[in-house]
Formats: sequence, structure tokens, C-alpha cells
Amino acid sequence: MVSLEDLKKEVKKILEEGKVKYVIGYKRGTNSSLPIPAFIRSAEDVEKLIWDPSCIHNLSRYLVDEKRSKAREKKPDERPVGLIVKGCDSRAINVLLQEKFINRDDVFLIGVSCEHAGVLDEKKLNKKLKGKEAKNIEFSKNDNFVITTEEAKIEIPVKEMLAERCLECKANYPVVYDVFLGEKVSKKLDDPFKSIEKIEAIPREEKWAFWKKQLDKCIRCYACRSVCPMCYCDECVIDTINFAVTADTTADEKAQKIKWVEKSPAFSENFVYHFVRAIHLAGRCIDCGECERVCPLDIPIRLLNKKLEKEAKELFNYEAGFDSDQPSLVSCFKDEDPEDFIR
Amino acid sequence: MGDEFEPKLVAFLCKWCSSAGSDLAGVSRMEYPSNVVPITVMCSGSVSPLYILDAFNKGADGVLVSGCHPGDCHYIKGNYYARRRIAFVKKLLEYIGLEPQRFQMSWISAAEGTKYTQIIKDFVKELKSLGPQTKLRREQ
Repeated sequence: MVSLEDLKKEVKKILEEGKVKYVIGYKRGTNSSLPIPAFIRSAEDVEKLIWDPSCIHNLSRYLVDEKRSKAREKKPDERPVGLIVKGCDSRAINVLLQEKFINRDDVFLIGVSCEHAGVLDEKKLNKKLKGKEAKNIEFSKNDNFVITTEEAKIEIPVKEMLAERCLECKANYPVVYDVFLGEKVSKKLDDPFKSIEKIEAIPREEKWAFWKKQLDKCIRCYACRSVCPMCYCDECVIDTINFAVTADTTADEKAQKIKWVEKSPAFSENFVYHFVRAIHLAGRCIDCGECERVCPLDIPIRLLNKKLEKEAKELFNYEAGFDSDQPSLVSCFKDEDPEDFIR
Repeated sequence: MGDEFEPKLVAFLCKWCSSAGSDLAGVSRMEYPSNVVPITVMCSGSVSPLYILDAFNKGADGVLVSGCHPGDCHYIKGNYYARRRIAFVKKLLEYIGLEPQRFQMSWISAAEGTKYTQIIKDFVKELKSLGPQTKLRREQ
């Protein structure tokens, strides 16, 4: 695990040099075991920073908000934003760069390697703690999580507590960065798509029953869309507001405007929403797992994205987030693309 | 008559090849099932996955997307893009648990009226054996 002191030193340095506008990192939250995002603007605030296996969030989402607020300012501060990125977060940056949503000099990336493990899973942690709050979470020497609560100190093997995505992580070190902390540890991954192979193997009607049950739960809060660093479109096809209603718009026009998805959380509509989301993330999702983490109804959204990640790899040998110069998956083609399904 | 299930098949045909192919089938007086609802689009590459989902959502029992053969696209490469995109839609629909026969893609050129009738005949036959599509249909 990268030491917090190294991280603080690095953040302090760039803030004092005035290289960055501010740095986005993690600080201790007030009412749960998990940290919250911290916006560090001055060198004194650096002390707030923390770095431990509970730093789950993908902070690259804030670049989307940053770009929007910058566009509104009259005299924007042109300095880059500092960002603490893990391996998965850095891949998100790569996709944003690939799509020219941000420029490389808009961000100053402090890459931290996850080294031997990754981050923990919030739900698994809460289950283990049974309502108690963790005061401190760290790695022990023998690669266990050590969780300190008010009463006790619990030691849990990494495998039991690690987030699902970390168990299937292809590169647990940043692939794009300005400063790199820690060391690159490449681990051998036996089965990168283990979670979805389970579903692929079951018979069709059971698959259907599984997804029907899962997607039926959706209340369409759109938390998954709000948290996703790739869902940055100004207008979303799911919203029915992307139709300019002016004083001249007739009732007839309003009635006939195209509405792809109804707002009601009926199964058929939920299905279209999640399907469209998955398709839009094909070849872009970098598997940060945020959509699944924020889902208040525990829908395994990640499994949809992971499926398309697998197909992209198997059919087109494409992996998102490793190269910001490659053409995007659905805007390029090869003559030898598979077409065995076409009559 | 009357009791037998008549499936509804929505076919997105590209204007330059497949739609012309279906026209050829028509003017040549070839017989094929009337279950198909042909929709002419400018290119198979312009078929958004949303069109396909929406067809299922509004009650289609099967959806066909058809374009020019590779290399023959009027817009040079639209069908290549379609090929990639449709592959994802197909894989994901199967992953969710929809019968894979319900969604198909084909290449039909303007001269292939017979191929068009054959594909529609086969498709309708398959849909008849599958029965109505109720999984993705919007409840009224």
C-alpha cells in the first residue's frame, strides 16, 4: 500500500508550486466507515487527506462537473485539476482523453498503485461490521485487511472483503499519470470474467428469470447514470426533455414527440434503460464498479457492462482505457470482424 | 385459420440494397408471408439499438436488420459499423435471456429478391414455433 505520507508530500508540493487549481482526493467521512471526496485547495488542508483500502470512489467523475463549471466562468483558472487516481480511475481518464472530452493538460494525475490488493467492498464491509463503524482500515503485513472499530480490531483475509471488480482487475496500477506512487505489481489473472460466466452458463429461462427479478427492482433514480464518468452527454436519450418546448410548440407537436422510454419504473421500461446504458458503455466502461456501488436496490449493473467488455475483447480484441490514441470501439471496424450470425 | 398464431416481424431494410431487394420480390410477384412490417432506413448503420428495443417494446415478435453485403454499402462503410453494433445487441439480448432467433441480421442485395423471401419465410416459421414474444413487451 502506498504510504499516506508520500501522497501528502506530493500533493503539498504541487499545491505550493501552484501547478494545480486544487486536488481531488479522499478524506474521512463523518457518518460512515467510508471516506468522502476531498477538494484540497491549500497546503494546510493536505492534512485532511487519507489513503486506505476504503478509498473506493472513482474521482474522475468530477472532471465532468469541472468542465461544465469552467465553461460558465468568465475568466476561468486555466491551471489543471489535480486528481488522485487508482488503476481503474486512470483508465477512465484515458477514455475521456480518447473521446477528446478533456485534454491531457486539464488534469494533473497522481497515480497510486493498488499494489497487492485493491479496495474493499462497501456491502461486504457493512455485513461484516453489522452496523458498527470502522475507525480505521489498513493493510497488515501479511496482506489482510485490518479494520479497527470502537470495540475491536478485526483482521480479514483480502479475498473475502475485496470489491468484485478488484478480483477481476486487469491492471491494478495507473496507466496514465504525472506522478506515480507505489510499485507496479502485475498479478496473474486466471479468470477475468468469472462473475459473468456463471450467468452465461445457466439455461435461457433461468437467465431471464434472474434479470427480470433484478431489473424489476429498479426505481429509476438514475444514480448509476449520475455517478458514471462516461455518462457525460449534455442530453440523454432516456430523458424526455430533450425536445425544445417553446411558446410556439403546439399541443400536437408535444404529443407526437419521440419518447423512447416511459418514466414509469415498469419492467419493460427499466429494461430499455439498462440495455441502452450498457450499449452506450460498450467499449467505454472501464469497470470501476461505481454504478453497482451506488445502486440503492443492489442491482448487479456491473454484470451487464462486464458482458460487453468480454464481447469486445473476444470478438474485436478491444480493451477500453489502455490506449488513449486508439479509435473507439464502435467508430471503427475491421474487414475480418465476425459475421457468422448474419444470414 | 384464425386460431393460428401470426407473429409480427419488424424488418429494418436499408434503402439501397435490402429495401430494393424486397421491392424486387414484390414486382416479381414472389410469395412470402404478410407478417413482416418492412421499414426502410437510409442505411443499416443508421439503425440504433433503440429502434430494435423499441420494436420489441411495442410488441414485435421478431426483428430483422438487413443491409448491403460488405463492400457494397452506398455509404462505403455503414454496414461495417452496423455489423459491430448489432453483434453487441445480439449478444446482450441472449445474455438477458431472449431467444436468439428473435433477432436476426442479414445481407440482402437489390438483386436478391429470392433471398429476401426465403429469409422472411424461415424467420416467420421460427417465430411461429417460438410463440408470442412477451418478455420485452410493454404492458398496456
